[in-house]
Amino acid sequence: MKRSKTAVLLLMGTAPLLLSACDRSESAAREGVYTSVETCVAQTNDRNTCQQAFDKAQKDAAATAPRFANREACEASYGKEQCAERNDGASHSFFGPLMTGFFLSQMLRNGSPMSGFNSAPAFRDSNGGWQQPAPGGAGGGVYRSSAGNAMVPINTTADRAVTTSRSGFGRSGSSRGFGS
Amino acid sequence: MRRIALAERPDWRSKAAECGFGFHTIDDAPYWDESAYYAFSLSEIEHDIEAPSEELHAMALDLLDGIVGNEQQLRQLAIPEPYWDWIARSWRERQPHLYGRLDFAYDGNGPAKLYELNYDTPTSLYEAAFFQWQWLEDQLARGQLPAGSDQFNSIYESLVEAFGTIARGIARPFHFAAMRDSVEDQGTVAYLRDCALQAGIDCGTLAIEDIGVSADGRFTDLDDQVIGALFKLYPLEDMFRETFGAYLPRSGLQLIEPPWKALLSNKGILPLLWDAHRGHPNLLAAEFDDGGELPRGWVRKPLHSREGANIAMHLADGRELRTDGPYRDGPCIRQACHSLTGFDGHYPLIGSWIVGDRACGIGIREDNSLITQDSARFVPHAIVEETRGVLIA
Repeated sequence: MKRSKTAVLLLMGTAPLLLSACDRSESAAREGVYTSVETCVAQTNDRNTCQQAFDKAQKDAAATAPRFANREACEASYGKEQCAERNDGASHSFFGPLMTGFFLSQMLRNGSPMSGFNSAPAFRDSNGGWQQPAPGGAGGGVYRSSAGNAMVPINTTADRAVTTSRSGFGRSGSSRGFGS
Repeated sequence: MRRIALAERPDWRSKAAECGFGFHTIDDAPYWDESAYYAFSLSEIEHDIEAPSEELHAMALDLLDGIVGNEQQLRQLAIPEPYWDWIARSWRERQPHLYGRLDFAYDGNGPAKLYELNYDTPTSLYEAAFFQWQWLEDQLARGQLPAGSDQFNSIYESLVEAFGTIARGIARPFHFAAMRDSVEDQGTVAYLRDCALQAGIDCGTLAIEDIGVSADGRFTDLDDQVIGALFKLYPLEDMFRETFGAYLPRSGLQLIEPPWKALLSNKGILPLLWDAHRGHPNLLAAEFDDGGELPRGWVRKPLHSREGANIAMHLADGRELRTDGPYRDGPCIRQACHSLTGFDGHYPLIGSWIVGDRACGIGIREDNSLITQDSARFVPHAIVEETRGVLIA
């Protein structure tokens, strides 16, 4: 036979995907930190999960962010104008960094996400590094503040650089595109 | 090889919609056309297309060792000097490539003649690999094709296999990029990404226009991640000329197709192939154009013309054909004129796919003129071993 035995679409098709469970069982984790729901969707093609992860991270951010007694101490770690005053609901006021992104982790099977995900707020320190609250809130955290929320660096996407310019490619384009 | 009229599947438009085929009609003109198909014998496919494709692919790759160190040839191919070392390094390291398409004039009589190599940004991939395959399966199931009909099309399997092979060596994050507003190109990268995901490669998409650069000259995505590897459905020669091009050689970015494809996706490779293999049955005589008058029996093509743009054809009978387009300036080649054969007024061009280094399928585009342009329609094909009488019945 000169043709493929099968031809499967994973994401392009809207029809339910049928994959035989026995011959393909590769699974992997997809982890990333995203600055917005849009960048998450661009990477994962899964708007629903991205939105849910963002919402959950935002909800958790105030509770799990490191706490500082004053703005200066917070800004020393997280940069100017990156901190806000917060309140723990029992009239204790403190300062914490603003959520600058969110962390999302999903299990993949054959490249497509399985149900369920983990998400957490992500904060960017003044060196440009990304951190998230330590799982369980304790132990091994390298960033520890007086009020005790441990932070761990996010290593999944350690290679980051501040973009200084965009749109340097694409001006030769036309609406018909460039394929040939 | 014959062109056979066949009723369309009544539901093919809804199938296209279900399968993400958003560009079957382009600018209100049909692009996918299943009102007919081309029927080949197995021998035509294997001896006249598959074997020559692999041979020509190997011949072209064999030229690269010489070209990367040959200043005269690099100039003939109009490769800008700042990119020479980078291209040479990419070839010395054998940076992985994914795919390419050889375009042939072929009518079932005599050898297929190579028109050009589309080795950097070939499209019509999804329709060849997937939708054409589905057409065959459907029409077999509906009893509209002779039982046992086949298709030269293991493109899908080859893509997944090729992605699996390069997966280990590919830098992450890995993104697929195309022009934001091109439905056709976006469809092609969506399909390639689909295949990559099936091979277990985690990867995302990005518009070419959204690529960023950092202060230290690395390329970034919208999330400020440094892009590890980039599949770009965008011509290397255009990247060279644009603002960000100068960053490419030192950016650390892994490109697919790799930089050395700039030497092959360039009509200048045709005279170099001809010089190295003069008289090869699948090659047309070719030379670099000196700008003089085009004699009868020759075609002039810009080095980087795509979609049949800016082609001048001086037929042996004296007729002259010419297409307009954006590639007015810049060097050209001449190629001996070998016209496409008409099938009921349609002129099919065979696109023969190489994935990895294997010839694995074809897609046919037919136009109403001798020069295949972006108006050409995609027409499916089948391998049919039955006798003529049965088919006509």
